[in-house]
Amino acid sequence: MVLENEILPYLQWLWSGSPGSLGAVPRFFLISLGLLLMGLMLGYIVAAARHGMLRGGDIVYRTITTGIRELLETSPRRVWALARLAMKEAWRRRVVVALVIFLIILVFASWFLRTDHQDPAKLYISFVLTATTYLVLGIALLLSAFSLPGDFKTKTIYTIVTKPVRAGEIVLGRTIGFTIVGTILLAIMGISSYIFVNRSLDHTHEIDISSLKNVSDANNETIGQDGRTTLDAHHRHEVELDNEGEGRALSNYGHTHEIVKRGDRSVVLGAEGIMRARVPKWGKLTFLDRQGVPKQRGISVGSEWTYRSFVDGNTQATAIWTFDNINASLNYDDGEQSGLPIGLIVRVFRTHKGIIGKAITGSIQVRNPESGLTSEVTPFSALDAKIEERLIPRKLTGTDDKQYDLYKDFVSSSGQLEVRIQCLERGQYFGFAQPDLYLRLPDASPLVNYLKVYLSIWVQMVIVIAIGVTASTVLSGPVAMLFTVSFIVLGFFRPFFVGVALGTEYGGGPVESFYRLITQKNIITKLEESLIATLIQGADTVFKGFMLTLAQVLPDFSALSTIAFAAFGFDVPADQVYQDLTMCLAYVIGLAVVGYFLLRTREVAR
Amino acid sequence: MSDDIVIQTRALGKVYRDFWGRQKVRALKPLDLEIHRGEVFGLLGPNGSGKTTTIKLILGLLFPTEGEALVFNKRATDVSKNERIGYLPEESYLYRFLNAEETLDFYARLFDMPAETRKERVDALIKMVGLDKARKRQLQEYSKGMTRRIGLAQALINNPDLILLDEPTSGLDPIGTREMKDMILRLKEEGKTVVMCSHLLADVQDVCDRIAILHQGELKELGRVDTLLTVADVTQIRGRNLSVECQNEIRDVIARHQGELMEMANPSTTLEELFLSIVRDSEARPGRRANVETTTSA
Repeated sequence: MVLENEILPYLQWLWSGSPGSLGAVPRFFLISLGLLLMGLMLGYIVAAARHGMLRGGDIVYRTITTGIRELLETSPRRVWALARLAMKEAWRRRVVVALVIFLIILVFASWFLRTDHQDPAKLYISFVLTATTYLVLGIALLLSAFSLPGDFKTKTIYTIVTKPVRAGEIVLGRTIGFTIVGTILLAIMGISSYIFVNRSLDHTHEIDISSLKNVSDANNETIGQDGRTTLDAHHRHEVELDNEGEGRALSNYGHTHEIVKRGDRSVVLGAEGIMRARVPKWGKLTFLDRQGVPKQRGISVGSEWTYRSFVDGNTQATAIWTFDNINASLNYDDGEQSGLPIGLIVRVFRTHKGIIGKAITGSIQVRNPESGLTSEVTPFSALDAKIEERLIPRKLTGTDDKQYDLYKDFVSSSGQLEVRIQCLERGQYFGFAQPDLYLRLPDASPLVNYLKVYLSIWVQMVIVIAIGVTASTVLSGPVAMLFTVSFIVLGFFRPFFVGVALGTEYGGGPVESFYRLITQKNIITKLEESLIATLIQGADTVFKGFMLTLAQVLPDFSALSTIAFAAFGFDVPADQVYQDLTMCLAYVIGLAVVGYFLLRTREVAR
Repeated sequence: MSDDIVIQTRALGKVYRDFWGRQKVRALKPLDLEIHRGEVFGLLGPNGSGKTTTIKLILGLLFPTEGEALVFNKRATDVSKNERIGYLPEESYLYRFLNAEETLDFYARLFDMPAETRKERVDALIKMVGLDKARKRQLQEYSKGMTRRIGLAQALINNPDLILLDEPTSGLDPIGTREMKDMILRLKEEGKTVVMCSHLLADVQDVCDRIAILHQGELKELGRVDTLLTVADVTQIRGRNLSVECQNEIRDVIARHQGELMEMANPSTTLEELFLSIVRDSEARPGRRANVETTTSA
């Protein structure tokens, strides 16, 4: 699973942020201050132009003081009344049609989604969650952008604003009302999609009797049977049975089956582990280059996407993860094997084909960062992009051929442990990013994880509603919708948008890109120095400043989405959930205040 | 501003502008007005004279281009003044997917009324406007008269001290019109201040204590209705059962005193009175042809 930005602990994210950036709270107040100053300046310019400088100042002063007073006078009863009205309005606007569309999507999805996919759960989960996201955001957009303009058009707003209703209550009431409607829709979609995924992927197999072979121990006594299952749902499993005829169908296509004895035959039960919620504990990744010199990154294999960097095979190049707080409580012991469970994703880059589909050999070692004690090399086979789950045995042999205990000898006094991975084949490369190796804590509940993903969709929905309602306080329905759509689209591509604003993307700013487009110039070469180029870059400087300002308030929808966690079978970290909820609250509060002033300073009648 | 004055406008003016800020139309020229507690005040004028604009400025639905409006000594843009105001717009702009009960409950909530008070008030108002049997019907099924009545009920939900009625009898049949006028007089008896704007002169004359006549956004006349309508040099004598001799004698007396007899005839009733008499008779004796003395004076 790709995790481009590190998920910071909630409190660190809230107050101090990552190194070199600000925490969420100081950032919120700084942006609010900036918006306040901009609003004051703009408000004064408009008021002064209309009413003269003195009266303009008086109007701005009164608007601010009245605004603060009225925001403090917000009545929950009035907000709730307006929220109920918004809910009834949504119901009248046949919002339930969204559910019908969703159910139709589910019905047809089962026709087109491939169950012979290597990881069908990933395909199904990402499909239903993506469909839910787009559908819910669409509904949120339509409800929020057209509601208030509808009231202005039918003039029903006259009977509201002539009551002691504060403008902020109108904005907040609509936002809450539509949020409740969206929440009900999401809940129904969540339940039906969860059932859909489980029912679609659930299957069983028969044991292929002809494949069963006896397994004997050292004394030549039969201890069970090995074999395989029949081909069902486009795959089969290897099976291991004991003398009672019970056992397991081994992991394939991301799941296993339990085999029990019923009567005189062994029965394969339903699939287990189709939906998982692995709980990873991530470490810090550093590298050694081919000469064994420490580096922050591995080498580039030419990919434009710099998320992963690579170690070259059969050299000293090594990827090193350092984990903190390691102790024996993390140990897994099922009686047969004991050790520290890890998960490993390797991207394999081949410079020669070899045998297609054949795994590339690598090695794992653990090392005590304090004493330098290193275990002997444990080889493993890596298939590209597949999650490899294994145990680092508790009893390990050191490079000095002595036996050591993983937790006592390889963990430093400060609780640190290093895990080192190398590629052993010349001319082949292993690519890693920090989240590609993790310690596996006990799995969380997949159902709870599914709920967390729905919570992140809910957060996106609430933000869209808040933007739509705020925009609709001054814009007509279609324009408010376009404005909100722009926000959503830019929000989904925020990192790129910020990159263009900062000049880190190829092709320059908007004007330069347009110029390159119409003159068919590629995006890499520099513009020749000329008056036109100077003018273009000057215009872009203005645009980039505007874009950078806009980026400060642009919600990063791509970061808010946690679909990838569920699709790849990872637990959504609690820190991520808290951050999303906090961000949602900040947007709702901020936009309600902005909406208040926009609605308060416009004429309701025509 | 004394406590007796409910509404005061000081050089209140409104200019409508286009997107570029250019003047489109001057809807109201500087208007100075004082409306006192407990009076029924009428804003009169033809369409486009600035009546509705004045009401909207007083309510804060529009912002003045110049001057200001004070209501209960507060600026028109101050939301808290709405606690004591009831407003019936020109057309009842209500949510048509709600029924009567839901509509009134919704507006009562906007006044932050507790549940019990809300229920009592909604019940009383639904009965008062005669919609008890239609209380569960959605407003989209209502006739125009019924919509108007529920509109009036929402305007009174907070038992306001000041009621602003924009064309209150518009769309009402004669019975509805009479009921509306009776309602206005009843509100006046309760000590409320009523401001209504209308171009139906008879309605205004029947209920208003004072009127302001607007034309092309300008105040043309302001004063008490009885004073404005009194014709100082004409004397009206009304009598019953006068014989022809008596009438001739009256003519002689007028001639002797160099007066001019303008008219001596049997008066006719108004069409409104006739209509209402017929309806009352029909309700009293259903299924029978109306028997109304057309010569009966009101």
